[in-house]
Amino acid sequence: MKISVIGVAVVLVLVAALTGTAVAQGGTLRIGMTASDIPYTGGQADNGFEGLRFVGYQIYEPLINWDVTKDDRLATPTPGLAESWAVRKDNPLIWTFRLRKGVTFHDGSPFNADAVVFTFESVKQKDAPHFDRVGASNAGVRISLLKSVKKIDDYTVEFESVKPSSFVPYQLLYVMMVSPTNWAKVGKDWRKYAESPSGTGPFKATRFVPRERLELEVNKAYWNPKRMPKIDKLVLLPMPEPTTRLAALRSGQVDWIEVPPPDAITPLKAQGFQIVTGPYPHNWGHTLRLDKAPWDNKLLRKAANYAIDRVGICKNLLNDTCVPGTGVIYKGHPWFGNPKETYEYNPEKAKALVKQAGYGDGRRPPRAVHLISTSGSGQMLPLAMNELIQKNLKDVGLDMEVQPVEWNTLLTRWRAGFHTPENEGLNGWNISLAFPDPSSAFQRFFHSRSVIPTSLNTMPYLNPEADAILDAAEKTFDVKEQDRLLGKLHEVLVDDAPWIFIVHDLNPRAMSAKVKGFVQPQSWFVDLTTVSVTK
Amino acid sequence: MLSVSSSETAPAVRPSHVTRVAGPPSYWRLVGRRLARDPVTLAAGALLGAVALSAIFAPLLAPYDPTTGSIRLRLASIGAPGHPLGTDEQGRDMLSRLLFGGRMTLLAALTPIVVACVFGSALGIVAGYLGGVLNAVIMRVSDVLYAFPAILLAIAISGALGPGLGNTLISLSVVFLPRIIRVAEAVTVQTKSLEFVSAARAGGAGPWPIVRYHLLPNVLAPILVFTSTQVSLSIILAAGLSFLGLGVTPPAAEWGLMLNTLRQSIYVNAWVPALPGLAIFVVSMVFNLLSDGLRDAMELRT
Amino acid sequence: MGSLLFRRLLLTLPTLLGASLIVFTMVKLAPGDPISVLMPADAGQAEIEAVKQSLGLDRPLPVQYLKWLERILHGDLGRSIATRRPVVADLGDALRNSLALALASSALALIPGLLLGMLAAFKRGGPIDKVVSAVAITGVSIPHYWAGILLVIVFSVQLGWLPAMGGPADPGVIPYLRHMVLPAVALALIPLGVITRVVRSAVLDILAQEFVLTLRVKGLHAGAIVRHVLKNASPQILTVMGLQFGFQLGGSVLVETVFSWPGTGYLLNIAIFQRDMPLLQGIILVLSTMFVLLNLAVDVLQGMIDPRIVRS
Repeated sequence: MKISVIGVAVVLVLVAALTGTAVAQGGTLRIGMTASDIPYTGGQADNGFEGLRFVGYQIYEPLINWDVTKDDRLATPTPGLAESWAVRKDNPLIWTFRLRKGVTFHDGSPFNADAVVFTFESVKQKDAPHFDRVGASNAGVRISLLKSVKKIDDYTVEFESVKPSSFVPYQLLYVMMVSPTNWAKVGKDWRKYAESPSGTGPFKATRFVPRERLELEVNKAYWNPKRMPKIDKLVLLPMPEPTTRLAALRSGQVDWIEVPPPDAITPLKAQGFQIVTGPYPHNWGHTLRLDKAPWDNKLLRKAANYAIDRVGICKNLLNDTCVPGTGVIYKGHPWFGNPKETYEYNPEKAKALVKQAGYGDGRRPPRAVHLISTSGSGQMLPLAMNELIQKNLKDVGLDMEVQPVEWNTLLTRWRAGFHTPENEGLNGWNISLAFPDPSSAFQRFFHSRSVIPTSLNTMPYLNPEADAILDAAEKTFDVKEQDRLLGKLHEVLVDDAPWIFIVHDLNPRAMSAKVKGFVQPQSWFVDLTTVSVTK
Repeated sequence: MLSVSSSETAPAVRPSHVTRVAGPPSYWRLVGRRLARDPVTLAAGALLGAVALSAIFAPLLAPYDPTTGSIRLRLASIGAPGHPLGTDEQGRDMLSRLLFGGRMTLLAALTPIVVACVFGSALGIVAGYLGGVLNAVIMRVSDVLYAFPAILLAIAISGALGPGLGNTLISLSVVFLPRIIRVAEAVTVQTKSLEFVSAARAGGAGPWPIVRYHLLPNVLAPILVFTSTQVSLSIILAAGLSFLGLGVTPPAAEWGLMLNTLRQSIYVNAWVPALPGLAIFVVSMVFNLLSDGLRDAMELRT
Repeated sequence: MGSLLFRRLLLTLPTLLGASLIVFTMVKLAPGDPISVLMPADAGQAEIEAVKQSLGLDRPLPVQYLKWLERILHGDLGRSIATRRPVVADLGDALRNSLALALASSALALIPGLLLGMLAAFKRGGPIDKVVSAVAITGVSIPHYWAGILLVIVFSVQLGWLPAMGGPADPGVIPYLRHMVLPAVALALIPLGVITRVVRSAVLDILAQEFVLTLRVKGLHAGAIVRHVLKNASPQILTVMGLQFGFQLGGSVLVETVFSWPGTGYLLNIAIFQRDMPLLQGIILVLSTMFVLLNLAVDVLQGMIDPRIVRS
């Protein structure tokens, strides 16, 4: 009698344990990234948005986060570590943020206003002992509007902006909160912090082999029960070469790769892999240098834009994993507006424009030297695409030479601008850019106040008309009015052609059939907490 | 490291080597006849001739422009209509690219060899003949450069200078110069000590006639043979540098560069990417066979 | 013996010094300003000067060289600009992987090379000799990076037997070995060819000498003859084996690139692209030093086996 009761109890416990384990166990997700190294784990990740995607937003969190749970609409800001925020009615320069309570960092210390102030100073205040030079070079340029932050009480802070602007919250999407306690614990050294990272995110770093892998496990103390990860372990592997990623996916070495080689998409589908694509606010083009020949001539810039066979690139080179881009924004987005120039593939028109600019009949404009990368976040297939573009340009009388460098190197040099000794000979950069919010999309590139080193207007694009529209858009807190103004701005930009617009990527990813639950949002970022890996 | 000689410091020229007092043309005729009798060498020579001709006449032979292509036709297989060797990832005709690529690869590989041979021989012979401090300086500098494995030195120099054909020529010349200097010096020293030279000196002959009539004929042959063994390495290195992105830059056609860009397409069309490598292999093999034949014909065993 | 070692060691010192000078100069030749990579965009002139001073870049070149040399001798190879880790740490991991690859590849080249070379020499002129010689010259002429690509095409893409690239994602000896097979084979081809040819040539030389004829006439059986031959040919054979191992260790860049094998060659490639000068310097310095020491070891070994062969 006793034995059978114990026996039943044992069986019940076993069953509970087994099923409990089965539910909790979500497997290991191994991702092959296009980055050539592990993104910086000290908080403000490098390697562009891919760094933020897999390291930044997984280990850390900003005050305002992205809602990347839906695939049918553009991702929008949502409360992250801040529960609410609002501009002060009596002083439009001050924003009050109410912080979330009960959140702890991976090292156990609480998240509060001190952490916010510490983080802000680490990326803005150069003379602070806790200034993070690496992190600041990644995040500093994204927060050009923020002047200072003040602690009001443990869970309230006030940000002061340099001018009244409705764009302020958008900038806080990109600053990850770091732990002052951890910084002190590791010896007040950001290098050591990167080796023992501590954030508030759903994943925490467990093992870090530079250049090879970053292993993360679930943060069991994560504050948001709705976003508790379903997998046990996340492994990130840098694989800058498309063929390597493809080989790794096919052989089962990884479960998910970013940017599969477009040619391999059809065979991958045939072999049972999932291919996920979708529009997102991405732009791939060449940012031009406007204070030096040849691109100081607007006619030549327009000519370049009419010379590119975008449909050819998308259909033939990229197997329909992109759509032609004829502006900063893609058609269908509220900010597209109604531009006059349509930039369809028209080499004859391009040649005519070149001639109109005073060249042709043996006289060619000076050669442009552009810096490109060999891979990278959102960079698609830079070498193959650029070869084609070179050819398109050559056919209409424009000469472009490319200098490939590694992605992070490109980003570093880009942020320094054209007027450094190293970059002095360049006329353009081929950088994939994002437009998820007005600040990122327009303000940091096209406003005359955003020149280096304040922000990233490297060209520099100095147009009072654009400035005026941007200022107006910034002043209004009415979203519809803002959209209308930004549409007008876009029309001006398309006409001025400070970039050679080329394509918008469709963010292809390939994953094994075992990966379930992933929702591809219209964003550069992803939510990995919904993903599970079946056996 | 890819030299086929057993000793890396100098070919051991045995005294049994045919010693000549003056340079009778009949020696070279003898060599020529021996070369002609070996079928393998003849075949290699013929192949080399074909390669050379196709490189020189590439503009006439190539059916298409090597830098234009239609991306609609990319990665066509070998035997595709109109493109017997297929097309590359940009849709450019492979046959044309291979022909023009040959020019580039051969130029990048042979120029440094010629430069190194001319200057290396001069320096080595001078060092060997004059001895003393000059010898010490030249040889020590050569030793230092020789201390680096060939590929590493080439990469170091090209990596520092940057990509481009010119920089490749410089770095490969620096790689091969010390090797030829070492061989030239060693052979010169050996020959200098031979009896007939000291006899000539004792007879009152000045240095220049000695060098010209006694030294050079005996020294040039081993130098030439050694140089010929380095050509295949030079080809592999030149293409290898482009393969790494340190040599010729796109959109130029060059075998190593083509191998690099096509490598990304092996999952789509496996065999077109193999073609540039095959070309490198064939030319490299041809030079190795020829240098073997030359060495045998000159009766220089190492 | 000890004095031989000491003397040879002494002779290598100027070579090592010269090599270090070349490595140092080479980096200074490189275009581009290393400071601009380190500084944030809005660094003022004073700040740049301060960083320059802290890195010692404002001193005259010879002083910089000496200071650099001093640090090297203390084992400090500087910090990688990209990872900000000490170069020694990055290099250590990579070196382990490259050594593993070189050892495996050497086994694949040395043993068959020795056997085939001897076989060809003993059966000189016959069909076996011809076949072996053809194989050898093919090996010598193959661009190893192409061979790697072919191996990937056949064994990974078409047959799917072996993984194509990278170091293993999963831990364990078996995955490590599986990933190493193809690159080791690719790297072994040229050395295999060279060693076969050298062994054949060396053995032929010995066989032609009178004492061997005498031994054979005396009726000494094949095994003993082989041993005699090997002993006499060993200096040449050892030299070439040592050199080829050096080639595999120092020259593995191309193969590692094809296979994304995380060794020193792969690291070198990354360092070049990222213009990571400290890393580049460190790798080249360490590899060439190993190469010089390897040559030294081979020389000494030769001297030990056959004191007649001591070189001046």
